[in-house]
Amino acid sequence: MSEVAIQRDVLSDNDAAAAANRARFRAAGTYVLNLMSGPGSGKTTLLERTAERLRGRVRLGVIVGDIQTRRDADRIGQHGVPVHQVNTGGGCHLDARMVAAALDVMDPADFDVLIVENVGNLVCPAEFDLGEHDKAMILSVTEGADKPAKYPLMFHESRLMILGKVDLLPYVDFDPDAAVADARALNPALAVLRLSSKTGEGLDAWADWLLQRMRQFRDGR
Amino acid sequence: MHEVAVAQRIVEVLVDTAGRHGGGCVRIARLDLGALTCVDPESLTFAFDVGCRGTCAEGCRLDITRLPLVLRCFACGDEGPRDGPVAPCPRCRAIGGEVRQGRELRLTTLELDEASRAEGVA
Repeated sequence: MSEVAIQRDVLSDNDAAAAANRARFRAAGTYVLNLMSGPGSGKTTLLERTAERLRGRVRLGVIVGDIQTRRDADRIGQHGVPVHQVNTGGGCHLDARMVAAALDVMDPADFDVLIVENVGNLVCPAEFDLGEHDKAMILSVTEGADKPAKYPLMFHESRLMILGKVDLLPYVDFDPDAAVADARALNPALAVLRLSSKTGEGLDAWADWLLQRMRQFRDGR
Repeated sequence: MHEVAVAQRIVEVLVDTAGRHGGGCVRIARLDLGALTCVDPESLTFAFDVGCRGTCAEGCRLDITRLPLVLRCFACGDEGPRDGPVAPCPRCRAIGGEVRQGRELRLTTLELDEASRAEGVA
């Protein structure tokens, strides 16, 4: 028997593919956001509202990851936004190679902002760098305020946390202050927006955040 | 939740490494697994055993070292292991800290059995 020291990160291939994606986005001048959350928290609905808000202001494109079906792509596409659906065929997250393949269809040069809607899953997507500039996540108030403590990684990795479905706050036992406090314990710089795609609360702030990050990216920050 | 994908990637690394070291069998693979990763050791071991079948790593043992979460307190700078990411600092009781250890998913060393090559097992 002989021992071989390798010291190799298991996800190093993904990280290399993500770096290649990032270089491609930079060359194209495209700001890319990786939007993550558990299933059913409102990613697709938010992107429908986002498409309406940003129409005529920036060139928005969306890459949607799901295990199966192209229902999300069809919904978002109805709002006049170029969408590409990626089916992972059982995979619980998108990885950098899947995004690279999607870029053969969605040329980054055609977009100012590209949003990648990850597979609905509060756990695994946080582990995989796609080459995005920022990660953002939704925690909807129906999911419970204990989620940051239970599933810390996504909160740790995100730049923005959207508290979603806040129109339902009167009907659920969700303590927004406790959720934000736990999330900021994991990530003190985490920005937080309260939002309801139903009533429109927070949608302007969300659009402003997105456009500001796009401009900061272009300014090299 | 993505243990199968991680296990497949580990097997690829083992097969590749064994090939570059003369083509023997891999008997033991050692993996550092941080507490903050989203990988369950039991599921990973199961997926790994299945994934090794029919390769030069068939029957390989996966030695997993769980690395505890280590935080450096944002408030007082105390650095040490914590039960969880929102556990209070043992020195100042503040919550929250920079992750110093816990994100690892890293193969460290492999034990290769060159003798198996002569026997034609590989």
